[in-house]
Amino acid sequence: MISLQRVTKVYRNGTTALEDVTVDVEKGEFVFIVGQSGSGKSTFIRLLLKEEEATKGDIYVAGKNLAKLTSWKVPHLRRNIGTVFQDFKLLQDKTVFENVAFALEVIGKPKHVIDQRVPEILELVGLGDKLNNFPDELSGGEQQRVSIARACVNRPLVLLADEPTGNLDPSTSVEIMRLLDKVNRIGTTVCMATHDQAIVDAMRRRVIELDKGHVVRDQARGVYS
Amino acid sequence: MPRFEYLFRETTSGLRRNGLVAFAAISTTFIALFLFGLSLLISRQVSLMIEATTGNVEVAVYLTDPVNLDNVQSLTNTLNDLDVVADVHYENKQEACDRFRRLFAEQEALVNNVDCDALPASLRVKMEDPEQYAQVQAVLKGQPGIEQIVDQSAFLDRLFAVTRVFRVGVLLVAFVMLVSASILIANTVRMGLFARRKEIGIMKLVGATNWRIRMPFLVEGLFESLIGAVAAILFLFAIKVAFINPLNESVQFIPWIVNRDVIAIIPILLIAGAIVALLAGLVGMRRFLDV
Repeated sequence: MISLQRVTKVYRNGTTALEDVTVDVEKGEFVFIVGQSGSGKSTFIRLLLKEEEATKGDIYVAGKNLAKLTSWKVPHLRRNIGTVFQDFKLLQDKTVFENVAFALEVIGKPKHVIDQRVPEILELVGLGDKLNNFPDELSGGEQQRVSIARACVNRPLVLLADEPTGNLDPSTSVEIMRLLDKVNRIGTTVCMATHDQAIVDAMRRRVIELDKGHVVRDQARGVYS
Repeated sequence: MPRFEYLFRETTSGLRRNGLVAFAAISTTFIALFLFGLSLLISRQVSLMIEATTGNVEVAVYLTDPVNLDNVQSLTNTLNDLDVVADVHYENKQEACDRFRRLFAEQEALVNNVDCDALPASLRVKMEDPEQYAQVQAVLKGQPGIEQIVDQSAFLDRLFAVTRVFRVGVLLVAFVMLVSASILIANTVRMGLFARRKEIGIMKLVGATNWRIRMPFLVEGLFESLIGAVAAILFLFAIKVAFINPLNESVQFIPWIVNRDVIAIIPILLIAGAIVALLAGLVGMRRFLDV
């Protein structure tokens, strides 16, 4: 599902974010990318979204070679990838329903699909009763659920999560992890960058550790360190 | 294509958000297109006057009453033999009358008071080289049936010289205004993009195509410039009614532009407005929306 072959990323200012990274993630896997700040976790995520291009090496996502993907096909790649961030990235002037519907609306899904799928996914993330609330009326955990619902409403093949629990307290983080686990069990490949040690240790999933742009560990059912 | 409802909502919210800049963009577009339309109407007015006075030819050979058709044929042949003559057309009294009635269609008093029989028949001579008027005069000298030979090219030259200055001036101002209008529209588009950079970021993440993202901003710019264009059209109509209609009554011997002439420039102004808006929109979001 995700494959990086000897990927190097050097930013224009000369910083080497990733060097000679080779990683394969199978369909349906749950993978933690761990490492300190600046180890290359975010670059890893950005490369998969083709927000950045690899300097060297090949990246395949959902069967597509990203280097050969023309810029007008990038949106179609991204429709197969859900994304969740530390800061939720919700629109404050839209309700929970509208925030999730927005993701379908802007890729041209018809209204009947939106009206069916949005309540369905919000039910799945446990917010079936908060459709008409605004983000500032929700707790941090609930806001992150909305953003997960938005990431998943178009049924992506891959879910990329960049520090999704970074702004949440430990017990809320556990709830979010349960939800991501649920998303993973319905067949979505999940790739989560984090430095939340407790969560990684509790989940016992595959762990890829990055340090200064190198893969220093790739361990099935691993712990944080 | 984005659904209409979505576009409408995004466009109106965009206009609400930066109302003042939108107003500046609309009013500048209005002035620019108004001046542009004005210069088009001036050229139309000038060409009407030229057609009325000269029939669009350089030399008119007025014939004595009654007209002898054999004589007309021999005069035509004589003229056609000259290298400097491009074309000779015989305009009989009826044609002269028709032309008169067409040009002065809105001035009923004039049409009713002029007897068609009073209009002379003539040979309309189109010149290959208008400078060589003397040759025409020489070859026709002493020929029978000629009332008067009129060289209209000098008059045409003067008329063109005067109106050219005027039209170029108005067009120049219109052009400068159009440039400022497009800068203002580009600015509203840019402000809209900035105000909604978070939404745009999310749209990119969930895989909205570039055109889907750009369309509401382009439509917003288009909307602004079309409002300006419609206002300009209404204003031109108002000018025509307020200034030209009274002239129709008082200055009888000149054909004035009619409503149809104003209607004819509507599509031109709308298209010009649309082009300005689209160019401005594309400039406004250049480098702002790279994937």
